[in-house]
Amino acid sequence: MMDLERNLLGLMTVFKFEARKLLLHKRWMFVVVLAILVGAVMGYSATRQGADIGTASDMLNLLVLTFLLPVMALIYGASMVRNEMDDRSIIQVVTSPLDRRTSYIAYYLALTVVLVILLIIITLVGGLSFMAFNGASGGPELMLAFMAVLCIGAIAYSSLFLVIGLVMKQPLYLGLFYVFVWEYFIGSVPGAVGELTIRHQLQVIASGLTDKGSFVNISGDPTTSLLAMLVMAVILVVVGAFLFREKEIA
Amino acid sequence: MTVIVEATNVSKWYGKVIGLNNFSLKVEGGITGIVGPNGAGKSTLFKILTGNIKANVGDLTVLGQSPWRNPAQLAQIGFCPDYDFLPGEITGREYLRYVGGLHGMSGDKLKARTEEVLELVAMSKDADRNMGGYSKGMKQRLKIAGAMLHDPQMLLLDEPLTGTDPVVRKEIIDLIKDLHAVHGHDVIVSSHVLHEIERMTHRVALIYKGRAVATGDISEIRQLMSNHPHHILVEGNGLIPLAQRLLTMDFTVSVELRPDRRSMVVMVGRSDPFFDSFPGLVKETGSDIARMESMDDDLESVFKYLVG
Repeated sequence: MMDLERNLLGLMTVFKFEARKLLLHKRWMFVVVLAILVGAVMGYSATRQGADIGTASDMLNLLVLTFLLPVMALIYGASMVRNEMDDRSIIQVVTSPLDRRTSYIAYYLALTVVLVILLIIITLVGGLSFMAFNGASGGPELMLAFMAVLCIGAIAYSSLFLVIGLVMKQPLYLGLFYVFVWEYFIGSVPGAVGELTIRHQLQVIASGLTDKGSFVNISGDPTTSLLAMLVMAVILVVVGAFLFREKEIA
Repeated sequence: MTVIVEATNVSKWYGKVIGLNNFSLKVEGGITGIVGPNGAGKSTLFKILTGNIKANVGDLTVLGQSPWRNPAQLAQIGFCPDYDFLPGEITGREYLRYVGGLHGMSGDKLKARTEEVLELVAMSKDADRNMGGYSKGMKQRLKIAGAMLHDPQMLLLDEPLTGTDPVVRKEIIDLIKDLHAVHGHDVIVSSHVLHEIERMTHRVALIYKGRAVATGDISEIRQLMSNHPHHILVEGNGLIPLAQRLLTMDFTVSVELRPDRRSMVVMVGRSDPFFDSFPGLVKETGSDIARMESMDDDLESVFKYLVG
């Protein structure tokens, strides 16, 4: 069998197995609770006086884009390869003739796809809840814009947290530092430094897709931000794949 | 016979801990037993053979190639680790399909081969149950099935008998023998119990503290064990004449009679002549023996003897 064919089959096998594992993990209860919370908060905010589609945009930005996206990517991504190395179940993958770089890409794709699915569900629950209690127009367009940004966000955050989980024994600490210290504190610094976060770049991309809510105040070129996110993700996945190939699995 | 593994002066250390120390070994096809106490370096050897870790120094070839960063070679190797890594939430059959996919197998070929190996390890009946509910023996058999699914030339089985009851142990031993005799796989199997390995093969390598201290036919190893000094505890009544008689025998090094005169420790240079002549000496002296045991007839003491 040609190596390419074997690697493609292996990639699909790891992808399906890992995606299923992530989706069926008992963390799904945590995701259900989050979706209900987002739905409840969005529904409540829709009933407030003066609430409009801008309010929905700001709530989705606050709850999903800047909080749930990085937190879920951290929880799912940092533990993905790390847990398998710790419980040694990764042995099946690393003793198969599948190129380890291919396996790493399969892990990454599974993580990204699962995150996108879960975040889309949460966005739908939140958006539909808002629309149920508020007659403002533009809801479906806003949800579509957010879903697109969340896809790009999942691509970026997954690449970051997966590689952190690969190289660090306690990846959660660095991940939490990034999400809550770097993104929140450094991201609040005015000027160029404050723009060096995935969150800011995603908001710039979002501002190119919707002009609702506070996105109207975000400055920057959405195309440049999109390219920056994609280039960052590709670099991190390539680095992760290389490190995985070189890693000793004791 | 073809050499399947050749290690020359291989060393592997983890920080200050040495896993393999100037390890040299040549393994030919067939079944070879790797025997050593816990922590001797058996698992480190398997990790190096499968390319999961890299030797710090030394030369190693597996089936003629270096295993490090050589995933294509793993198509010819099946590995069954000593620990439980099977995902509990899927069935045995689903697990084998997953393993087959990792090895580039699919469709009818994978389906047929899955049924074949399930039959071989006697797991067809339980293959649709979640593995979380499997017994230790069932898990071991399924791990072996996973290792042999892609029909590799060489199987590496790390402590496959650990934690199994005597019935399962016999089944696995028979299976391992068949893997070579019937199916033609070359098998390297490890254990810390020599007599378990002895039931599978006559070719063994003894590993101790990261070194291969003896290799060859098991009868040669047995001879080494027989020739190393033994301490034998004897308990009973009327031991004094027996002790006096034992001191006249050329295999006896010393006899230490304990103060209560109801037990003694006999040190012998060679154990076989002692055990052969002991019943006659007991009868001759009229001693009443209640209990007798070898105090150092275990692998640990053999290894200590072999490495000086």
